[in-house]
Amino acid sequence: MRRMLAVAAAGMLAAQSTSAAGPAIGDKLTPFALKNYDGATVDLKSFAGKKAVVLMFISTQCPVSNGYNDRMAALARDYAAKGVAIVGLDANREETPDEIAAHARQHGFSFPVLKDVNNVEADRFDAQVTPETYVYDATWTLRYHGRIDDDRRGDNVKSQDLRNAVDAVLGGTDVPVKETKAFGCTIKRVAK
Amino acid sequence: MTSLLLAAALVAGTLDGAGVRATVAERKGRPVLLSLWATWCVPCVKEFPELARIARERPRLAVLSVSMDDPQDRAAVEKFVAEQRPPFPVYVKSPGPDEAFINGVDPEWSGALPALLVFDAKGRRAALLQGEKTRAEIEKALEGLE
Repeated sequence: MRRMLAVAAAGMLAAQSTSAAGPAIGDKLTPFALKNYDGATVDLKSFAGKKAVVLMFISTQCPVSNGYNDRMAALARDYAAKGVAIVGLDANREETPDEIAAHARQHGFSFPVLKDVNNVEADRFDAQVTPETYVYDATWTLRYHGRIDDDRRGDNVKSQDLRNAVDAVLGGTDVPVKETKAFGCTIKRVAK
Repeated sequence: MTSLLLAAALVAGTLDGAGVRATVAERKGRPVLLSLWATWCVPCVKEFPELARIARERPRLAVLSVSMDDPQDRAAVEKFVAEQRPPFPVYVKSPGPDEAFINGVDPEWSGALPALLVFDAKGRRAALLQGEKTRAEIEKALEGLE
Protein backbone atom coordinates (compact mmCIF):
# COMPACT_ATOMS: atom_id res chain seq x y z
CA MET A 1 0.00 0.00 0.00
CA ARG A 2 2.79 2.35 0.90
CA ARG A 3 4.45 1.63 -2.41
CA MET A 4 1.19 2.33 -4.25
CA LEU A 5 0.80 5.63 -2.41
CA ALA A 6 4.39 6.49 -3.15
CA VAL A 7 3.94 5.80 -6.83
CA ALA A 8 0.79 7.91 -6.89
CA ALA A 9 2.56 10.74 -5.09
CA ALA A 10 5.45 10.52 -7.50
CA GLY A 11 3.07 10.88 -10.41
CA MET A 12 1.36 13.90 -8.92
CA LEU A 13 4.59 15.68 -8.13
CA ALA A 14 6.40 14.51 -11.26
CA ALA A 15 9.24 13.62 -8.94
CA GLN A 16 12.32 11.88 -10.21
CA SER A 17 12.77 8.63 -8.40
CA THR A 18 14.68 5.44 -8.90
CA SER A 19 11.81 3.40 -7.49
CA ALA A 20 10.02 0.92 -9.68
CA ALA A 21 7.26 -1.49 -8.83
CA GLY A 22 8.47 -4.55 -6.97
CA PRO A 23 6.22 -7.28 -5.60
CA ALA A 24 3.35 -6.20 -3.38
CA ILE A 25 2.14 -8.05 -0.31
CA GLY A 26 0.00 -10.92 -1.58
CA ASP A 27 1.91 -11.31 -4.86
CA LYS A 28 3.20 -14.73 -5.84
CA LEU A 29 6.89 -15.49 -6.04
CA THR A 30 8.21 -16.15 -9.51
CA PRO A 31 10.89 -18.77 -8.92
CA PHE A 32 14.39 -18.14 -10.21
CA ALA A 33 17.66 -19.98 -10.26
CA LEU A 34 21.04 -18.42 -9.50
CA LYS A 35 24.48 -19.66 -8.65
CA ASN A 36 25.46 -20.01 -5.03
CA TYR A 37 28.89 -18.72 -4.00
CA ASP A 38 30.23 -22.27 -4.34
CA GLY A 39 29.23 -22.43 -8.00
CA ALA A 40 26.23 -24.72 -7.51
CA THR A 41 22.99 -23.54 -9.05
CA VAL A 42 20.19 -23.04 -6.55
CA ASP A 43 16.70 -23.17 -7.99
CA LEU A 44 14.02 -21.78 -5.73
CA LYS A 45 11.72 -24.50 -7.05
CA SER A 46 13.77 -26.89 -4.91
CA PHE A 47 12.25 -25.22 -1.86
CA ALA A 48 8.73 -26.30 -2.80
CA GLY A 49 7.13 -27.76 0.31
CA LYS A 50 8.93 -25.42 2.70
CA LYS A 51 6.67 -23.64 5.15
CA ALA A 52 8.31 -20.33 4.33
CA VAL A 53 11.01 -18.92 2.09
CA VAL A 54 12.97 -15.89 3.27
CA LEU A 55 14.93 -13.93 0.68
CA MET A 56 17.52 -11.49 1.99
CA PHE A 57 19.46 -9.05 -0.17
CA ILE A 58 22.74 -8.68 1.64
CA SER A 59 26.26 -7.36 1.10
CA THR A 60 29.77 -8.33 2.07
CA GLN A 61 30.91 -4.71 2.37
CA CYS A 62 27.96 -2.69 3.62
CA PRO A 63 28.41 -1.88 7.32
CA VAL A 64 24.67 -2.00 7.95
CA SER A 65 24.34 -5.43 6.35
CA ASN A 66 27.44 -6.61 8.19
CA GLY A 67 25.92 -5.39 11.43
CA TYR A 68 23.28 -8.06 10.88
CA ASN A 69 25.64 -10.97 10.10
CA ASP A 70 25.23 -12.64 13.47
CA ARG A 71 21.48 -12.10 13.43
CA MET A 72 21.20 -13.56 9.91
CA ALA A 73 23.23 -16.61 10.92
CA ALA A 74 21.07 -17.04 14.02
CA LEU A 75 17.91 -16.72 11.95
CA ALA A 76 19.02 -19.59 9.73
CA ARG A 77 19.99 -21.71 12.75
CA ASP A 78 16.70 -21.04 14.52
CA TYR A 79 14.37 -21.61 11.60
CA ALA A 80 15.98 -24.29 9.42
CA ALA A 81 14.51 -27.11 11.50
CA LYS A 82 11.12 -25.43 11.36
CA GLY A 83 10.87 -25.83 7.60
CA VAL A 84 11.99 -22.35 6.61
CA ALA A 85 14.39 -21.80 3.72
CA ILE A 86 16.68 -18.83 4.13
CA VAL A 87 18.30 -17.55 0.94
CA GLY A 88 20.76 -14.69 0.68
CA LEU A 89 21.22 -12.70 -2.51
CA ASP A 90 24.16 -10.48 -3.31
CA ALA A 91 23.44 -8.10 -6.19
CA ASN A 92 26.30 -5.68 -5.59
CA ARG A 93 28.33 -5.43 -8.76
CA GLU A 94 31.71 -5.32 -7.06
CA GLU A 95 31.16 -8.26 -4.71
CA THR A 96 32.50 -11.41 -6.31
CA PRO A 97 31.51 -15.02 -5.62
CA ASP A 98 34.91 -15.57 -3.97
CA GLU A 99 34.34 -12.60 -1.68
CA ILE A 100 30.81 -13.78 -0.94
CA ALA A 101 32.10 -17.28 -0.13
CA ALA A 102 34.76 -15.98 2.26
CA HIS A 103 32.24 -13.70 3.92
CA ALA A 104 29.68 -16.49 4.32
CA ARG A 105 32.24 -18.82 5.86
CA GLN A 106 33.65 -16.15 8.12
CA HIS A 107 30.24 -15.39 9.54
CA GLY A 108 28.97 -18.96 9.73
CA PHE A 109 26.17 -18.60 7.21
CA SER A 110 24.47 -21.97 6.84
CA PHE A 111 22.26 -20.63 4.06
CA PRO A 112 23.15 -20.13 0.39
CA VAL A 113 24.11 -16.66 -0.79
CA LEU A 114 23.33 -16.40 -4.48
CA LYS A 115 25.19 -14.06 -6.78
CA ASP A 116 22.63 -11.92 -8.59
CA VAL A 117 24.72 -11.09 -11.64
CA ASN A 118 23.68 -7.81 -13.28
CA ASN A 119 21.20 -7.28 -10.42
CA VAL A 120 18.45 -8.97 -12.42
CA GLU A 121 16.53 -10.16 -9.37
CA ALA A 122 17.23 -6.99 -7.39
CA ASP A 123 15.62 -5.07 -10.24
CA ARG A 124 12.68 -7.46 -10.41
CA PHE A 125 12.12 -7.16 -6.66
CA ASP A 126 12.93 -3.44 -6.72
CA ALA A 127 15.24 -4.15 -3.78
CA GLN A 128 17.05 -0.95 -2.90
CA VAL A 129 19.26 -1.60 0.08
CA THR A 130 21.10 -4.23 2.06
CA PRO A 131 19.78 -5.81 4.15
CA GLU A 132 16.29 -5.98 2.67
CA THR A 133 14.12 -9.05 3.17
CA TYR A 134 11.08 -10.78 1.68
CA VAL A 135 9.06 -13.51 3.40
CA TYR A 136 7.00 -15.93 1.32
CA ASP A 137 4.66 -18.52 2.80
CA ALA A 138 4.12 -22.13 1.72
CA THR A 139 1.98 -21.01 -1.20
CA TRP A 140 4.78 -18.64 -2.23
CA THR A 141 2.72 -15.61 -1.45
CA LEU A 142 4.59 -12.52 -0.25
CA ARG A 143 3.68 -11.95 3.39
CA TYR A 144 6.38 -9.51 4.55
CA HIS A 145 8.85 -7.08 3.01
CA GLY A 146 11.32 -4.85 4.76
CA ARG A 147 13.94 -4.70 7.47
CA ILE A 148 15.19 -7.49 9.72
CA ASP A 149 14.54 -5.49 12.87
CA ASP A 150 14.51 -1.92 14.06
CA ASP A 151 18.05 -1.60 15.39
CA ARG A 152 21.01 -1.81 13.06
CA ARG A 153 23.46 -2.23 15.96
CA GLY A 154 21.44 -4.98 17.57
CA ASP A 155 21.76 -3.86 21.16
CA ASN A 156 18.41 -2.13 21.41
CA VAL A 157 16.01 -4.12 19.24
CA LYS A 158 12.39 -3.35 20.03
CA SER A 159 10.71 -4.84 16.99
CA GLN A 160 11.76 -8.19 15.51
CA ASP A 161 9.89 -7.56 12.29
CA LEU A 162 11.34 -10.39 10.21
CA ARG A 163 11.12 -13.01 12.95
CA ASN A 164 7.60 -11.85 13.80
CA ALA A 165 6.59 -12.31 10.18
CA VAL A 166 8.12 -15.78 9.90
CA ASP A 167 6.55 -16.81 13.20
CA ALA A 168 3.16 -15.62 11.97
CA VAL A 169 3.54 -17.55 8.71
CA LEU A 170 4.56 -20.69 10.61
CA GLY A 171 1.71 -20.21 13.06
CA GLY A 172 -0.86 -19.63 10.33
CA THR A 173 -1.73 -16.18 11.60
CA ASP A 174 -1.79 -12.77 10.05
CA VAL A 175 1.61 -11.08 9.83
CA PRO A 176 1.36 -8.22 12.32
CA VAL A 177 3.43 -5.71 10.33
CA LYS A 178 3.56 -6.59 6.66
CA GLU A 179 5.85 -3.85 5.41
CA THR A 180 8.64 -1.85 6.94
CA LYS A 181 11.30 0.32 5.40
CA ALA A 182 14.58 -1.47 5.08
CA PHE A 183 17.51 0.78 5.89
CA GLY A 184 21.03 0.31 4.70
CA CYS A 185 23.43 0.75 1.83
CA THR A 186 22.10 1.06 -1.67
CA ILE A 187 22.61 -1.98 -3.84
CA LYS A 188 25.47 -1.10 -6.16
CA ARG A 189 23.94 -1.92 -9.52
CA VAL A 190 25.50 -2.27 -12.94
CA ALA A 191 24.68 0.51 -15.36
CA LYS A 192 21.96 -0.56 -17.78
CA MET B 1 39.60 33.55 11.15
CA THR B 2 40.75 30.06 12.06
CA SER B 3 38.12 29.83 14.77
CA LEU B 4 35.45 30.90 12.28
CA LEU B 5 36.54 28.17 9.89
CA LEU B 6 36.53 25.62 12.69
CA ALA B 7 33.09 26.75 13.79
CA ALA B 8 31.79 26.39 10.24
CA ALA B 9 33.20 22.89 10.07
CA LEU B 10 31.36 21.67 13.16
CA VAL B 11 28.23 19.62 13.06
CA ALA B 12 25.28 22.00 13.15
CA GLY B 13 23.15 19.87 15.44
CA THR B 14 20.75 16.95 15.46
CA LEU B 15 17.47 16.71 13.59
CA ASP B 16 14.57 14.29 13.53
CA GLY B 17 12.39 13.90 10.45
CA ALA B 18 10.17 16.86 11.34
CA GLY B 19 13.25 18.92 12.07
CA VAL B 20 14.63 18.17 8.62
CA ARG B 21 11.37 19.30 7.01
CA ALA B 22 11.34 22.46 9.12
CA THR B 23 14.96 23.22 8.23
CA VAL B 24 14.14 22.86 4.55
CA ALA B 25 11.07 25.07 4.98
CA GLU B 26 13.20 27.78 6.56
CA ARG B 27 14.98 28.11 3.21
CA LYS B 28 11.74 28.87 1.34
CA GLY B 29 12.47 31.36 -1.42
CA ARG B 30 15.52 29.42 -2.53
CA PRO B 31 15.84 25.98 -4.10
CA VAL B 32 17.17 23.43 -1.63
CA LEU B 33 19.36 20.39 -2.13
CA LEU B 34 19.08 18.05 0.85
CA SER B 35 21.71 15.34 1.15
CA LEU B 36 21.20 12.27 3.33
CA TRP B 37 24.36 10.28 3.85
CA ALA B 38 26.60 8.49 6.33
CA THR B 39 30.33 8.20 6.90
CA TRP B 40 30.13 4.42 6.45
CA CYS B 41 28.44 4.78 3.05
CA VAL B 42 31.17 4.65 0.41
CA PRO B 43 29.22 6.33 -2.43
CA CYS B 44 28.08 9.01 0.03
CA VAL B 45 31.64 9.85 0.97
CA LYS B 46 32.54 9.94 -2.71
CA GLU B 47 29.62 12.24 -3.47
CA PHE B 48 30.22 14.67 -0.62
CA PRO B 49 32.99 16.78 -2.27
CA GLU B 50 30.83 17.01 -5.40
CA LEU B 51 28.03 18.52 -3.33
CA ALA B 52 30.49 21.01 -1.87
CA ARG B 53 31.51 22.03 -5.39
CA ILE B 54 27.88 22.39 -6.44
CA ALA B 55 27.17 24.53 -3.38
CA ARG B 56 30.12 26.81 -4.16
CA GLU B 57 29.13 27.14 -7.80
CA ARG B 58 25.45 27.83 -7.09
CA PRO B 59 25.11 30.50 -4.41
CA ARG B 60 21.34 30.65 -4.95
CA LEU B 61 21.03 27.01 -4.00
CA ALA B 62 20.68 26.17 -0.30
CA VAL B 63 22.45 22.89 0.43
CA LEU B 64 21.71 20.96 3.61
CA SER B 65 23.24 17.73 4.73
CA VAL B 66 22.04 15.22 7.32
CA SER B 67 24.17 12.29 8.40
CA MET B 68 22.46 9.01 9.26
CA ASP B 69 25.39 7.88 11.37
CA ASP B 70 24.55 6.49 14.78
CA PRO B 71 24.83 8.94 17.67
CA GLN B 72 27.76 6.84 18.93
CA ASP B 73 29.59 7.68 15.71
CA ARG B 74 29.26 11.43 16.05
CA ALA B 75 33.05 11.79 16.36
CA ALA B 76 33.48 10.20 12.93
CA VAL B 77 31.02 12.68 11.44
CA GLU B 78 32.77 15.62 13.10
CA LYS B 79 36.16 14.43 11.87
CA PHE B 80 34.84 14.03 8.33
CA VAL B 81 33.18 17.44 8.35
CA ALA B 82 36.32 19.06 9.76
CA GLU B 83 38.33 17.53 6.93
CA GLN B 84 35.87 18.37 4.18
CA ARG B 85 34.92 21.87 5.38
CA PRO B 86 31.73 21.94 3.32
CA PRO B 87 30.13 25.33 2.58
CA PHE B 88 26.82 24.09 3.98
CA PRO B 89 25.51 22.97 7.35
CA VAL B 90 25.81 19.31 8.30
CA TYR B 91 23.35 17.88 10.79
CA VAL B 92 23.18 14.43 12.37
CA LYS B 93 20.02 12.36 12.65
CA SER B 94 18.71 12.46 16.18
CA PRO B 95 18.57 9.17 18.11
CA GLY B 96 15.55 7.04 17.31
CA PRO B 97 14.23 4.46 14.86
CA ASP B 98 15.42 4.78 11.28
CA GLU B 99 11.97 4.19 9.84
CA ALA B 100 10.41 7.07 11.78
CA PHE B 101 13.16 9.36 10.57
CA ILE B 102 12.89 8.17 6.96
CA ASN B 103 9.13 8.60 6.86
CA GLY B 104 9.43 11.90 8.68
CA VAL B 105 11.75 13.25 6.01
CA ASP B 106 9.76 11.85 3.08
CA PRO B 107 7.55 8.76 2.97
CA GLU B 108 8.68 8.11 -0.58
CA TRP B 109 12.32 7.84 0.38
CA SER B 110 13.19 4.14 0.65
CA GLY B 111 15.90 4.76 3.22
CA ALA B 112 18.62 4.06 0.70
CA LEU B 113 21.82 6.07 0.99
CA PRO B 114 22.97 8.30 -0.47
CA ALA B 115 19.72 10.15 -1.11
CA LEU B 116 19.27 13.64 -2.50
CA LEU B 117 16.02 15.55 -2.26
CA VAL B 118 15.59 18.66 -4.34
CA PHE B 119 13.01 21.30 -3.39
CA ASP B 120 11.94 24.26 -5.46
CA ALA B 121 11.82 27.82 -4.09
CA LYS B 122 8.26 27.21 -2.87
CA GLY B 123 9.40 24.28 -0.78
CA ARG B 124 7.85 21.63 -3.02
CA ARG B 125 9.87 18.52 -3.59
CA ALA B 126 11.01 18.48 -7.19
CA ALA B 127 13.20 15.39 -7.22
CA LEU B 128 14.21 12.39 -5.16
CA LEU B 129 17.48 10.75 -6.18
CA GLN B 130 18.33 7.52 -4.40
CA GLY B 131 21.67 5.75 -4.67
CA GLU B 132 24.82 6.69 -6.52
CA LYS B 133 24.29 9.60 -8.89
CA THR B 134 26.58 11.32 -11.33
CA ARG B 135 27.21 15.04 -11.33
CA ALA B 136 25.15 15.22 -14.54
CA GLU B 137 22.19 13.51 -12.89
CA ILE B 138 22.33 15.90 -9.96
CA GLU B 139 22.62 18.89 -12.28
CA LYS B 140 19.62 17.65 -14.25
CA ALA B 141 17.54 17.49 -11.08
CA LEU B 142 18.46 21.11 -10.34
CA GLU B 143 17.61 22.39 -13.80
CA GLY B 144 15.27 25.33 -13.92
CA LEU B 145 15.00 25.76 -10.17
CA GLU B 146 17.28 28.80 -9.73
